[in-house]
Amino acid sequence: MEWWTWLIIALAIFAAVTVSIAALQARRRSGGVIAQGRRPRGGGGPES
Amino acid sequence: MTVYMRAGEIAKKPVVTLAGDDIGQVKDIVFDSSTGDIRCFTLAGRGLLSGPLHRALLWRNVHALGPHAVMVRDESALEEDDSAATPGEDERAGVNVLGVAVTTRSGTQLGRVTDAVVATGRKPAVAGYEVETAERERVLLPVAGPITVSGERILVSDATAQHSAGNLGGFGSAVEGLRHRPVHDPQED
Repeated sequence: MEWWTWLIIALAIFAAVTVSIAALQARRRSGGVIAQGRRPRGGGGPES
Repeated sequence: MTVYMRAGEIAKKPVVTLAGDDIGQVKDIVFDSSTGDIRCFTLAGRGLLSGPLHRALLWRNVHALGPHAVMVRDESALEEDDSAATPGEDERAGVNVLGVAVTTRSGTQLGRVTDAVVATGRKPAVAGYEVETAERERVLLPVAGPITVSGERILVSDATAQHSAGNLGGFGSAVEGLRHRPVHDPQED
């Protein structure tokens, strides 16, 4: 293969790894709104 | 006066000491589903490559919640670990309410949670949810009293749907309307 083919392959791999790391990092840092408390009474049915 | 803000506005805010040191940023907002009270924040590091800090910030240690930052006195305001954000022995595992369906007790699905609305003040609490309806419309639903939260849905009273608001400006009126509604059904409370 020509040298530029290897260059394109290397750049593609680098881009894929960079995007994966960025996505993983965004997932690690993303937050949420967490509800904590005792188990729901009556399994979520009508409460009295 | 109670000021309402979206939880999404609090998340990712930097946590800054009174000396000006930037020691982290808000990751999760942890609240008690029986009272709505905010218990603590979990934190992430500030660098692009940093992950979770595994140190909780209890609400009582927050000096001020400003529009641009969460202020703490100094780094000792942070807990040594994030055990405050983990459930106790008599509690179930924490549930991230984002994306969870909101259903009335009579079985009407109101939408899916896209954000929570926090009433700030001396004792901040989750006062309602922003939900996306089946028509892709976003409305703010107030909640009153204990709610049932599972991994799949949040159960709210039937009256909740009648007291929605389109924006935070009208949310206070929606909360008051729900709190002071005439009660006919004991299951509603």
